[in-house]
Amino acid sequence: MTRLRQAPVTVLALFLGALVALAAVPAPAQEPFPSRPVQIVVPLPPGGAADLHARPLAQAMERLLKQPVVVVNKPGAGSVLGTVAVANSRADGHTLLIAMPGFFINPPVDALFGRPPKFTIAQFTPIARLSADPLVLVVHPGRPWKTFAELLADAKRRPGGVTYGTAGAYSGLHFPMEILAVATGITLSHVPYSGAGPAVAALLGGHVDAMASGPGPVLSHVKTGGLRALATWGTSRLPALPDVPTLKELGVDVEYLLPVRIVARKETPPAALQVIRDAVRQAVGSPEFAGAMAKLGTAIAYLGADEDLALWEKETRLINQTLQRIGKIQ
Amino acid sequence: MDPVHDLLFGLSIALQPENFIYSFLGCVIGTIVGVLPGIGPLAAVSLLLPGTFGLDATKAVILLGGIYYGAMYGGSTTSILMRIPGEAASIVTCLDGYAMAQKGRAGPALMIAAIGSFVAGTLAVAALTVLAPLLARFALRFGPPEYTALLLFGLVVLSYMSGRSMLKALAMVTVGLLLGMIGVDLAAHMRFTYGLAELVDGIGIVPVAVGLFGLSEILTTAGKATPPQVYKPRLRDLSPSREEWRASVGPIGRGTVLGFAVGALPGPAHIISSFASYALERRLSRHPERFGEGAIEGVAGPESANNAAAQAAFAPMLALGVPSNAIMAMMMAAMMIHGVLPGPLLIRQNPEVFWGFMASMYVGNVVLLILNLPLVGLFVNLLRIPYRTLYPLIVLFCVLGVYAVRGSVFEVGIMTVMGLVGYLLRKFDFEAAPIGIGLVLAPTLEISLRQSLILSRGSYVIFLARPIAATLLAAAAAVLLLALLSVVRRALRSAPA
Amino acid sequence: MTIDRVSAVVLLALALLVFWESRSLPLGGLARPGPAFLPVVLASLLAMLALVILARGGRSARLASLQWSEARHAAVVLVTCVFAVVALERLGYRITMAVILLVLLLVIERNRPVVALSLALGVPLVSYWFFTRLGVLLPTGPLGF
Repeated sequence: MTRLRQAPVTVLALFLGALVALAAVPAPAQEPFPSRPVQIVVPLPPGGAADLHARPLAQAMERLLKQPVVVVNKPGAGSVLGTVAVANSRADGHTLLIAMPGFFINPPVDALFGRPPKFTIAQFTPIARLSADPLVLVVHPGRPWKTFAELLADAKRRPGGVTYGTAGAYSGLHFPMEILAVATGITLSHVPYSGAGPAVAALLGGHVDAMASGPGPVLSHVKTGGLRALATWGTSRLPALPDVPTLKELGVDVEYLLPVRIVARKETPPAALQVIRDAVRQAVGSPEFAGAMAKLGTAIAYLGADEDLALWEKETRLINQTLQRIGKIQ
Repeated sequence: MDPVHDLLFGLSIALQPENFIYSFLGCVIGTIVGVLPGIGPLAAVSLLLPGTFGLDATKAVILLGGIYYGAMYGGSTTSILMRIPGEAASIVTCLDGYAMAQKGRAGPALMIAAIGSFVAGTLAVAALTVLAPLLARFALRFGPPEYTALLLFGLVVLSYMSGRSMLKALAMVTVGLLLGMIGVDLAAHMRFTYGLAELVDGIGIVPVAVGLFGLSEILTTAGKATPPQVYKPRLRDLSPSREEWRASVGPIGRGTVLGFAVGALPGPAHIISSFASYALERRLSRHPERFGEGAIEGVAGPESANNAAAQAAFAPMLALGVPSNAIMAMMMAAMMIHGVLPGPLLIRQNPEVFWGFMASMYVGNVVLLILNLPLVGLFVNLLRIPYRTLYPLIVLFCVLGVYAVRGSVFEVGIMTVMGLVGYLLRKFDFEAAPIGIGLVLAPTLEISLRQSLILSRGSYVIFLARPIAATLLAAAAAVLLLALLSVVRRALRSAPA
Repeated sequence: MTIDRVSAVVLLALALLVFWESRSLPLGGLARPGPAFLPVVLASLLAMLALVILARGGRSARLASLQWSEARHAAVVLVTCVFAVVALERLGYRITMAVILLVLLLVIERNRPVVALSLALGVPLVSYWFFTRLGVLLPTGPLGF
C-alpha cells in the first residue's frame, strides 16, 4: 500500500528534478549553425513577388545548409506584422525576413503620424539584395501623350489635372511618382487603391491617367496596346522594353527600383551571419533560382551585405525627403 | 476560334487521367474546406499554393480552381444545419436554410443548395467560355463612381431584405458600416484601432458572422425550458417535394444571371450577389412573409448566385491578368511561377492552360454534384443528435473555425462579443444580417467615394455625368421613392377618413 | 420603458461614442472627405434613425415582458468562450477544448458520463489531428499538448 501511494510522488519528484536540470544546463556557447530548421518569413500573402522570391531561394538554401528552410507567410497590417515577428524572434540566424519597400517606409510613416514605431530598421542587418526591378511609367492609351515630354508639358499646363493610381498611400508605387513630381516641378493627383491589382485595373479602364508599376503586371498589356509605357525609373533600359527610355536619359535625374531583400536580426552572431550570407550568395547563383526568376520576368540583381548596406542609407534618406514633401495626406 | 472546337480541345486535356485526378482532388478538398467552418477557400488555397509549385501550370490551376468553387458548394452546409456560415457568401443561407432545417426540411434545403450550385456553376462556365474577354472588359468600365453608385444601390435594395421593420434594418446596416470603418483608411490614418495591430486590417467578417449567427443561436436556444423539438428526418424527406422543386426553378435561374453579372467585379462581389438574390426573391414572391420562416427560394437563389459569381470571378484574372480578389491573385501566382502569364495573351500563348482549365470546370461541377448529393443524407443525420449533446460541439467548431482564419485568439474574442450582441439583438427584435452586409460593403464604399471625389476634384457631378453610375443612382432613388410612397399610402389609409 | 426605446437609447449612445472617438481624426469636407468624414456621417445617420425609433417605439413590447429564462445558460456558454480566449494559447487547443466540452456536456447539460467523457476527450483530439493535417496551426500548451 505504502509503495503504491508513494509511487506518484516519486515520479513527480523525478519529473520536477528533470525539469530543473534541463533549465540549468547552459546553452552551448558555439553550436554549429544552423542547428535547426531555418525560417524565412514573408510578411505578405503567398503568391506575391516576395513569396515567389523566397520559395526558390529556400529550396536552393536547403541543399547548401543541410537543414530544412521553411517559408512562412505572415501577412497583416501591410507588412508590419511579419516584420515585427522577426524583430522579436531569437537573434540566432534561424529566422530571416524578406524585406520589401514597406520595410523602409513603415517606420518613418509611423513617425509622421506621431505613432510609436512598431519596428525600426536598426533592428536588422542586411544579408543580400536579390532583385531590383525598375518601375515603369505607364499611361492609358486613350490619353494624348505619346512621349514623356508631352505628358510633362500637359502636367505643367494643368497642375493637379493628371491623375495616377497607386497600391495605397505611402506604398512602394506612391513614392516614385512623387519623386518624379519633385524632380520636374509638377503637381499630380494621387488616387490610392487597395493594392497594385486594383490600381492596374483602374488604369486599364481609363479611370486614372497614369501609374508607376513593376514591369511584371503591365508588360503584356504594353505589348498588346492596352497600356502605353513612357519611361522607366531604371539605371538602364529594360531588356523587355528596349524602346522605352529611362528617365535619366530624358534628363530627369531620378531612379527608383523595387528591391527584394533578405535581412536578419541585427544581433545575429557574426559566424552565423557569415554562413547565411554565403548560402544566399550561392543559392542566388544556382540554376533553379535563376530559372524561377526568369519565369517571373524578374532580373536577378544580387548585392552582397556591405554594398546593400550603403543603399539602405541612401534609400532611407530618399524616403524621408519625399515624405517631408508628401506630408500627411487627407 | 470556334468555341465548340476549343472546348473539345479543352476536354481532351481536362480528361487526361492525371489532370482529372487533380480536378477531383480539388473538388474533394474544396468540399471538406467548405463544410468546415472557418477555413474558407482563401485559407485553403493559400495553404496549398506552395504545394502546386511542383506541378505544371494546368494542373496547378485545375487543383486550386477545384478547391475554390468546391468550397462555394459546401459553404451552405453548416449554414443550414447549425446556422454557422461556412464562408461569408453563405450568411444569407442561414436565414431560411436553418429555418427549413428546424422544420425537418434540412434534406431538401441541402439538396436544392447543391443542385442550384451545379446548375449555376455549369451555366456560368458555359457563359464564361464565350464571354470571358467581354465580361472582363465590362468589369473594367466600373471605376470609383460606378462602384459608389452600385454599392449605394445595393444598400438601398438590401434594406428591402428585412422582413419586419425597414427602419430597424437601416439602423443595423449603419452599425455594420460603422464597424467596417475600423482599421487603416486610404490615407493611412489608423481609425478606432487603439494601438492594436489586430485591428489595423479591420474586423473580419468570419468572426462577426459566426458570432452573430452561430453562437447567438446557441445562446438563445441552449437554455430554453423546452428544448427545440428535433425533427427526426426520414429518408423520404431527403429530397425536395414537388412544390419545392417548382418554387426553386425561378430563383436558381435568376440567381445565376445575377451572380454572373456582378461576379466579375472586384471585391466582395459574390457576397453582394447572394444578398441581392435573396432581396430579389423576397420582392418577387407572392408570400414575402414566408421568408425567414423557411422559404426554399431563400436558399435556392443565393446559393446559385454565389456559385455563378465565383466562376465569373475568373474572367478578369484570365482575360486581363487583373485578379479581382485574393484567391484569384494566388491562382495567378500559381500560373506565373510556371511562366504562364494570365492576361490578353493567355489564350494565344497557352491555349492548353486556358481551355484545359475551362473544361475542367465543367468536369468539376459534375464531380461536385456527385460528391455532394450522397453527403446530404449523412449530414442530415447530424440533426438526430440531441441538442444538449450537439450544441457543446458546435461551440467547439465556432471557436476552432474562427481561430483558424488568422490563427489569433483576438478573433475568438470578437466572435464572443458578437455572439452576445446577436443574442441581445434577437431579444430586442432586431435582425443581424444587415450588420454583416454593412461590414462587408463599408471599405469598398468608402474608398470608392473618396477616390471619385479625388478624381472629380470635389465635384459630385461625376456621379451623374457617367452613364452607368447615373443609371444605378436613378434606380436607387426610384426604389427609395417607391418605399416612401408605400409608407405614405399606408399612413393615409390608416388615417380616419 | 419599451424594448424599442431601450434599443434606441443604446444606438444613440453608440452614435455619440463614434462622434467622440472621431474627434482626433481629420474630418475633411464634402469635397474632400477625410478619415473621420464617413464615420461622422454614418453616426449622424444612426443617431437620426435612433431618434425615429425612440419616437415610434411607444407601442412595442415592454421591457419587463422579456423572458430571460435561458440567460443563465447563455452566460455559461459565453464564459466558456472567454475561457477559450484566455486559455487557447496558454493551455493549448486540446486541453482547452476538453475542459470546455466537459463543463458544457457533463456539468451543465448532464449528458450520460460515458457520452460526455468520450466526446470531451475524443473530439478535441480528432479535430486537432485533422486540422493540423490540413495545415492549420493550432496552439499546443506546455508538455506538448
